[in-house]
Amino acid sequence: MTTASHTMQGLASAKDLFALTKPRVMSLVIFTALCGLLAAPGSIHPVIGFTAILAISLGAGASAALNQWYESDIDAVMKRTSERPLPAGRMDRETALHFGVGLSVFSVLLMGVAVNWFSAIFLAFSIFFYAVVYTIWLKRSTPQNIVIGGAAGAFPPAIGWAAVTGDVTLMPVLLFAIIFFWTPPHFWALALFMNSDYSKAGVPMMPVVAGRQSTRNQIFGYSLVLAAIAIAPFALGLTGLVYGVAAIVLSVVFCALSVSVARSKTTVPEDMVAEKRLFKFSILYLFVLFAAVVADRMIVA
Amino acid sequence: MSEIDESKAPMSSEEQKAYQARQKHRSVILAGILGFMVVLFYLITFVKIGSSS
Repeated sequence: MTTASHTMQGLASAKDLFALTKPRVMSLVIFTALCGLLAAPGSIHPVIGFTAILAISLGAGASAALNQWYESDIDAVMKRTSERPLPAGRMDRETALHFGVGLSVFSVLLMGVAVNWFSAIFLAFSIFFYAVVYTIWLKRSTPQNIVIGGAAGAFPPAIGWAAVTGDVTLMPVLLFAIIFFWTPPHFWALALFMNSDYSKAGVPMMPVVAGRQSTRNQIFGYSLVLAAIAIAPFALGLTGLVYGVAAIVLSVVFCALSVSVARSKTTVPEDMVAEKRLFKFSILYLFVLFAAVVADRMIVA
Repeated sequence: MSEIDESKAPMSSEEQKAYQARQKHRSVILAGILGFMVVLFYLITFVKIGSSS
C-alpha cells in the first residue's frame, strides 16, 4: 500500500464514519429508546427528550464503531461484513478507535449535562458492556456470546425510561428482558442461514458449536420464554388491553414460526425458508410490540 | 498536511485533489454538526434555566 492511500485512509470520508455507527442497528435503538421514554410515567421537555434520544443514539453509534474497530479481522472474512469501511480498506483502525472513544465520551457527557447523571452512567455502562464484555470478551470465547451480549442491545428502552424518571422500576426491567430474550432467536435464525460465514471467521456461534438442530430447539425454547416475558406487563397490570392483545397475538405468531424452525431439517442455507421468515418477523415483532407499549400509554394518558 | 506527505511519498495530483475534496466535505459536515450543537445547547440552557426558576 502506498503512503498516499494510507493518507486517504487516515482521512476517512464522512460517509464511512457514518457507516461505522451501523445506522440500521441504530434505527432499532432509537425506536426502542424512544418507546421507553414515551412509555415512562411523568413528563420530559421535548428538547431534553430529544437530547436524551440523541445521546443514546450517539452511544449506540460509538459502541458500533468500537465493535468494528476490534472485529475488523472477522469482518474481513465474512461476506456480509466484508464491505464495511475497515475490512474494505477505506479507513484505518486508529481512526475508528478515536471516533468510537470520542463519540462514547461525548454521548455520556451530553446525557449527564442535559438530562440526568443516572441515565448517563447507565449509558456509559451499556457502551462498556457492548464494546468490552460482548465484543472483546464474549464473542470469540463462547457460543453464549449473543445471549449475554444481547443485554447491550436491551439497555436503550430502560435508558430512555431513566431519562424521564431518573430511576428504573419493574416496567423498564421487563422492556429490557423482552429485548434480552428476543435476541437469541433473532440472531440464531440469522446465524443458521449465515452459518458458513461464522464458521469461516471462527466465531463460536451456536449453530457452529452446538449444531443446527440444537440451535433450532433452543430458538423454540427462547421463544416460549420471550412470550411469557412479553405478556407479563399485561398480566401484572402494568399495561392495558392494547398492549395485552398485541403481545398475545405477536407472541403466538412468533412461537408458531419458531415451531416451524424447530421442525426444519434442511442444511442448505438457500432452503431455510422457516429461519428466514422467523428472522424477518422477529424485527417486525419488536417494532410492533414496543409501538404497542407507547400506544397503550397514550390511550391511558 | 502536504509537508508530512512530501516527507514520505508524494501524492499524485489526482490523489491530492481527492484528498482536498474529502477534507472540504468533512469540514462542511463538521461545521454543520457544530452549528447544530450550538443551537441545541442554547435551547438546553433555556429549558434548564426555565425549569430551575
